[in-house]
Amino acid sequence: MIATLACLTLRALLNRRRTLLLGLLGALIVVVAMVYRLGGPAEAEALDFTADLLGNFGLAALLPLVAVIVGTSALGSELDDGTIVYLLAKPVPRPLIVIVKFMVASGVTGLLVALPIIVAGVIGAGGDPSLGIGYAVAALFGALEYTAVFLALSLVTSRALVIGLAYVVVWEGVVAGLFAGTRILSVQQHALAVADALVDEGGVTAELAFATALPIGVAVTIGAVVLAVRRLSLVELRGETG
Amino acid sequence: MSVLALAGVSRWYGNVVAVNDVTFEVGPGITGLLGPNGAGKTTLLHMMAGFLAPSAGEVRLDATPTWRHPQVYRQIGFVPEREAVYSFLTGRQFVVASARLSGMAGAVAAADRAIDMVELRDAADRAIGGYSKGMKQRAKVAAALVHDPPTLILDEPFNGMDPRQRLSMMDLLRAMAADGRTILFSSHILEEVERLSDQVLVVVAGRLAASGDFRRIRRLMTDRPHSFTLRSSDDRRLARELLAAPEIESVELRDGVLTLRTGDYGALTRAVAPAAQRAGVSLLELRPADESLESVFSYLVRR
Repeated sequence: MIATLACLTLRALLNRRRTLLLGLLGALIVVVAMVYRLGGPAEAEALDFTADLLGNFGLAALLPLVAVIVGTSALGSELDDGTIVYLLAKPVPRPLIVIVKFMVASGVTGLLVALPIIVAGVIGAGGDPSLGIGYAVAALFGALEYTAVFLALSLVTSRALVIGLAYVVVWEGVVAGLFAGTRILSVQQHALAVADALVDEGGVTAELAFATALPIGVAVTIGAVVLAVRRLSLVELRGETG
Repeated sequence: MSVLALAGVSRWYGNVVAVNDVTFEVGPGITGLLGPNGAGKTTLLHMMAGFLAPSAGEVRLDATPTWRHPQVYRQIGFVPEREAVYSFLTGRQFVVASARLSGMAGAVAAADRAIDMVELRDAADRAIGGYSKGMKQRAKVAAALVHDPPTLILDEPFNGMDPRQRLSMMDLLRAMAADGRTILFSSHILEEVERLSDQVLVVVAGRLAASGDFRRIRRLMTDRPHSFTLRSSDDRRLARELLAAPEIESVELRDGVLTLRTGDYGALTRAVAPAAQRAGVSLLELRPADESLESVFSYLVRR
């Protein structure tokens, strides 16, 4: 039952052309690291540059973009096109549907983001993997939190993709830059705090303390999954004609 | 043996009442849910299958309410009206997945049987995205009956099927009903319901307009006065002649349209041509004025 559910979710996600485009976007960060390296930079500078690349491109752009697209379509696309009926018409516990979808979506997101981050990190830092691994773990943490939030959002509104993008661009991109207090509710800042805790050298500058970011991130993730379960058990199907 | 029971079920969306205080029971055999488009058939079926909460009343399958009790889907197979399917799966993968999600052991063998039942073997290993409407419909039916449920609910199952597929689907449903299953299907086509169902539920504007044995409802429908409109080379002359025929209850000529009413459909069709001949008038057109299903329904509602 779980394997079937996971397999259906994974195939639906990978079947979409936009998922493949996201893979290309991830490849771009690797290409940037390679081109930079070809310029023969000084080692100290290279660490700063790579940390900036992984933070500003990897965590601040690639991660939320992949998460919003994968997270909102893991259940949202089935709700949109009506194929959710084939899951709802089965004796599958509703929490299980949500949890499996969440695991698969966050796994896909994590892979699409963490993998290019590690590779770009190793290349950019001239072979030293610690920077890349630190950021990749942060990306996995962020992937779990983002995906949970966007999955829940797709069960609350049919405009989840637009609202999710608006959250990333407006809240995390603009508001969190202007008002430090709002950063506590920024997934990106939670992920940065994790990276900061894991990476000693290099220019990670998280605005939140790890001890604050970790519990909030975990609480938001669990809360979002619980909300999604509640919403799914109340989903009603309407006919096209009545 | 399972019985779906609705008790005082209503459903409204804001101020719009889609289903209004409906009470009935569906037991083993084939029951047809007949009604014009927009009458609330899908709303009713979705409530019966537990996909929609009744605003009032309750739907139960045997003892269990269907809303928010996913375990009832061990006993229910549901075929939705919407065409959307997982287009990236093959027909076989779709049916196997459906069996596995039902928690079945031996899902592959069960899927094979279901695919044979709906005669989809030849196309089973092609992606559903490339299926015709009728093939999709059969894949959906196979996925719904793969776990051998005692209750099968089908929303407009014959939509998009060609006549041959329609007949074989009807045979399949009859065979399943003969095994003691409870089968409920909706349709807006009188003929489909007539050919298939033992029991009929007629829904009009969210209300249960009639229910029971099909022959009884058929009589209700055919006993009503029929009206026809007629065009000829000289309507007034023809009207005079037709008025003399005892089979015809009334003749009306208004705004240049000649309308006839009769209680006896057959006698009228036999009376018109001789009357035209006697009057020396050429008949141009004779058409039933109210044979649309909607008028049949509104007649039933008025009774």
